[in-house]
Amino acid sequence: MYYNKGKNTAPWQGRHANGGASFRGNVSRSSLGLYIHIPFCRKKCDYCDFYSLEAAGEKTRRYASALTAHLTETAEHIRIPVDTVYFGGGTPAMLGAGNLCQILRVIIKQYAVVKKPEITVELNPESTDRKLLKSLRKAGVNRISIGVQSAVDPELRRLGRLHDFATAVQAVGLARAVGFANISVDLMYGIEGQTPESLEYSVREILKLQPEHVSCYGLKVERDTPLWLRRDMADLPDDDTQADMYMTICGLLRDAGYIHYEISNFAKPGYESRHNLKYWKLEPYLGFGPSAHSDFRGRRYSNVRSVDAYIEGIENSGTVIDEMEEISPSERATEYLMLRLRLNEGFDPREYERLFSKPIDPAEEKLRDYEKQGLAVYDGKWRLTEKGFLLSNTIIASLI
Amino acid sequence: MQDISKIRNFSIIAHIDHGKSTLADRLLEICHAVDKREMEEQILDNMELERERGITIKARAVKLNYTAADGGSYVLNLIDTPGHVDFNYEVSRSLAACEGAVLVVDAAQGIEAQTLANTYLAIDAGLEVLPVINKIDLISADPERTIREIEDVIGIPAQDAPKISAKNGINVESVLEYIVQNIPSPKGDPDAPLKALIFDSQYDPYKGVVVYIRVFDGVLRTGDTVRMMATGAEYEVVEAGYLKPLGLEKSGELGPGEVGYFTASIKNVRDTNVGDTVTNAGRPTDHPLPGYRKAQPMVFSGVYPADGAKYPDLRDALEKLRLNDASLSYEPESSVALGFGFRCGFLGLLHMEVIQERLEREFNLDLITTAPSVVYKVHYTDGREEMIDNPLNFPDGSVLEYAEEPFVAANIITPAEYTGNIMELCQERRGVFRDMKYIDTDRVELHYELPLNEIIYDFFDALKSRTRGYASLDYELKDYRRSDLVKLDILLNGEVVDALSFIVHKEKAYPRARKITEKLKENIPRQMFEIPIQAAIGAKIIARETVKALRKDVLAKCYGGDITRKKKLLEKQKEGKKRMRSLGTVDVPQEAFMAVLKLDE
Repeated sequence: MYYNKGKNTAPWQGRHANGGASFRGNVSRSSLGLYIHIPFCRKKCDYCDFYSLEAAGEKTRRYASALTAHLTETAEHIRIPVDTVYFGGGTPAMLGAGNLCQILRVIIKQYAVVKKPEITVELNPESTDRKLLKSLRKAGVNRISIGVQSAVDPELRRLGRLHDFATAVQAVGLARAVGFANISVDLMYGIEGQTPESLEYSVREILKLQPEHVSCYGLKVERDTPLWLRRDMADLPDDDTQADMYMTICGLLRDAGYIHYEISNFAKPGYESRHNLKYWKLEPYLGFGPSAHSDFRGRRYSNVRSVDAYIEGIENSGTVIDEMEEISPSERATEYLMLRLRLNEGFDPREYERLFSKPIDPAEEKLRDYEKQGLAVYDGKWRLTEKGFLLSNTIIASLI
Repeated sequence: MQDISKIRNFSIIAHIDHGKSTLADRLLEICHAVDKREMEEQILDNMELERERGITIKARAVKLNYTAADGGSYVLNLIDTPGHVDFNYEVSRSLAACEGAVLVVDAAQGIEAQTLANTYLAIDAGLEVLPVINKIDLISADPERTIREIEDVIGIPAQDAPKISAKNGINVESVLEYIVQNIPSPKGDPDAPLKALIFDSQYDPYKGVVVYIRVFDGVLRTGDTVRMMATGAEYEVVEAGYLKPLGLEKSGELGPGEVGYFTASIKNVRDTNVGDTVTNAGRPTDHPLPGYRKAQPMVFSGVYPADGAKYPDLRDALEKLRLNDASLSYEPESSVALGFGFRCGFLGLLHMEVIQERLEREFNLDLITTAPSVVYKVHYTDGREEMIDNPLNFPDGSVLEYAEEPFVAANIITPAEYTGNIMELCQERRGVFRDMKYIDTDRVELHYELPLNEIIYDFFDALKSRTRGYASLDYELKDYRRSDLVKLDILLNGEVVDALSFIVHKEKAYPRARKITEKLKENIPRQMFEIPIQAAIGAKIIARETVKALRKDVLAKCYGGDITRKKKLLEKQKEGKKRMRSLGTVDVPQEAFMAVLKLDE
């Protein structure tokens, strides 16, 4: 129903995309992640280039219905267990606690959700209140990710965020009080006017909240955002400063006991984001909502981009799939290198050769050069150092 | 043969976009030289059309038959002047074939730089210049003001100038009447020995070279044996006749005052030189026509395909271009940095740019060209002399006794108010002042001797910009003079990049070296290691810049949707790499090579 007959195949249809005997689509198929996209925001941040719109009553209701219907219909065809669910956006809270919990209940009912899943909801400090948190906790959410970004209020204002640091501290406190024991905090570096000192201050303040997980991203000026339009006047740290800031963050978090498990993600042992790891380990996931992506049975899908088109598609039994791509083994091999090198776990060259029947030697030769430059390390597996993470684009491009 | 009193030979001159081509189209239409259906493109300008129809005659000149108001049948020969009016020599030879010139001025824009430059060329060639006011249909047109401008600035009467709109076909016929009444008929003696001017030639795969001529004296007939006076070569005329927009009209003979063509199984355009005189081998004329100059390549540069695999395509393209460009020369050469390519000889920087553009546009080639260089005469310590056209072959101090560089005699015509500016410019370029005179109340002609290598880069652009476009330049090779010349090498990451080496006068070495290293630093992207950029004379480094090592090139977020996007990006990056040259360990984009050529801002 929710696919274009004849044009695109629904995720569960058709044979596995397969090119070689030893490789069957996704690297591992044992469990599935679900991603639900809520593209509503109260106000767009100055740096955001995602598709999102302001929430408005009737539309959110229809959207919630559409999601529910899509999830239900899909569930009928999924056998493998679901072990992670992720509500992202936008601002998921804009859908309303009632709708969010309803959707989660549908998932738990219709899918074979494992006993100890990881269920994440992204939250903004200003739209987090005790009532919302309690409802989510009750419905089964056990992880929240809060966009804090900085502990310096002027910096937050320059980002166009609607909260101040005090609100963020309060939100984390509330979450703990309500019983959340797995909290992730977003930190941004390279903000307008940010200095190495103010960055260090933000890191230390955030560490005081003792989050189980920290994601840190360098501010990137995307075309046609308000920040882009004022970029010439904005006092933005240059690339070299951003590099320094990144290394500072790595050091501070390492000292505080966090494991730097992915280029931009740090976690206390055992608190890595199970859902996001699926992206980097080429495990299957299904995306619901506009612009959401899926990778299932060796095919990647993306959904239509606009909320209206998505709702239309669901309500009128039309299409919600925008693009579909069969991923060949050699493409998977490329993806494998590209994504595994984002992890400090790295990859085992023997596994590479076994999975893709391709020689790892040309890549290994380059990796040995990088090792000499302190950018990569081999200890049974190849991985990039933190300096290497910073140059991972160039490095990966040279390997594939 | 035609009645000479009823012949009118003329050219149309104008500033760009003032309506020259449109007027030409209209004239062709009125004289029924082509029918309306064929008038889709502008015939005189159009090479595409030739290719489509397989016709290889470009209509550089056309014979128009016109019945005037007085009832007489006139022959109007319209000779087109080449697009680049700064190629003075070719233009001057086309004008030499005419008695008059129709000057088209846009009634909205008025007189502009190229208008003046062209007009002076025509006046200096002794032509009757007839102004025509065009684009009167535009709201902003001011014909009266334009007439006044013409009279004041150029100094020719314009009260009776036809006011027309070539685009809308308004009053165009009056231009033809104007031509008949005001351009003098040619003069010439049919019994005198043959004397005809070659103003262009074109290679045709079936007929060989088609030679375009204007006959001054005598008659050229099929079967005659003619001699090219500059080369002494003799040929038997196979065919002769007139030029039509889309073909040829055989007539068997051409007499005094007439414009047309002949063929003589000539294999190579190089055998027919623009400006040369054609005479009868058995009864040659005593005096060739004045103004002939041998086309001599003065500027050389290495031309390389950006993608080495396209070398054969470049070779084929140059071969095709050379068929119709007698002044283009080329020879294979190779460079450690750039691979295999050609050393090409051009008449000047403009010629080089035209050829480059044609190679890129018509043959779809991505090119890297080295800095243009002139030919130096080096004297070795062992007494030998050699002409060096490639900086790489310039000997180093130990075997070099001394070197000489080519000097040109340059003629610059400028409005008087800019004289000071120009003199300053010439001095900056190591020019030697020779003469200055007023050619009328407002115009000055300057004679300077300048080193050729100082003017090949951008002297012309600098000249134009210091005179708001009004100056004109003409130069020819004068002699070779001893000079303190050095070879400047550029090193990237410690290795010499042979393609960037060039010869420069000692005085200019330091400033040039600094500019080049700065330009390179701006244009070479940061890489995983620090890149020292150095300029050296021999072993001595005289300028240096550094490209800092790249520290950050990372995709911070890589979740579901990002993965597909990222893969596409990686693919694009791989394509982008193809436009880079790996010079040793350094990746240099083509733009960096280009930037080094445009040094003086």
